[in-house]
Amino acid sequence: MADFDPEKFEDKYANYFPELQQAYKNAFNRMNDQYDSELVHAIDQQVLNESEPFYEGDGEFRVELPDDPYGRVSGVLVEEDRFETVLETHVEEIESELQRVFGFQ
Amino acid sequence: MSTETQNDGDDLEDRVTNFLRRNFPQIQMHGGSAAIQDIDRETGEVSIALGGACSGCGISPMTIQAIKSRMVKEIPEVEKVNASTGMDGGEEEMDGMSPSFPGETVDDDGGEADEGPEAPF
Repeated sequence: MADFDPEKFEDKYANYFPELQQAYKNAFNRMNDQYDSELVHAIDQQVLNESEPFYEGDGEFRVELPDDPYGRVSGVLVEEDRFETVLETHVEEIESELQRVFGFQ
Repeated sequence: MSTETQNDGDDLEDRVTNFLRRNFPQIQMHGGSAAIQDIDRETGEVSIALGGACSGCGISPMTIQAIKSRMVKEIPEVEKVNASTGMDGGEEEMDGMSPSFPGETVDDDGGEADEGPEAPF
């Protein structure tokens, strides 16, 4: 279990890089199993590559997304409502995985 | 006789390459690659393209963010980093659809806690 320190999370990419990768990858794999793989890949590569996780306190994490996520996705035909649903689920999975990786679940 | 005007640029390129190699060995360890596409020495803007296994892998978003965040801190001349997996304009790298790395044993389907600060990537 990672020894989570909120202050160290301020420099998360230096202090908690493996854990962050783990959380994102676990979320990705679960999404990939449950939803359209092409869409999940597009979200992963074209939206989440500009995302940033923040620690909110009380064991809660928040993933901040770039502006206009739907507009960032190319190469995949998907209705916006469907896209938003899958993206929202993906973000929830990441936030949940962050809780797991850092020992809050 | 002096034709050394490129030394500064070469040095910066070397440092960027070494930075990637030193801090992100997992890119190559897992069959990925990180190529320097462009270095603008005047603006301090560096463009990096992740390829190979990186483009179909669920950890590349965090890798990209980490490269962006850390390179500007650790290499003073670098002001901004653009990094992508080359998927922005299409899906030419989509043949790497398998999100898992060969030989990796990470539990990824909701199993027990996988929290290991020494995770092997």
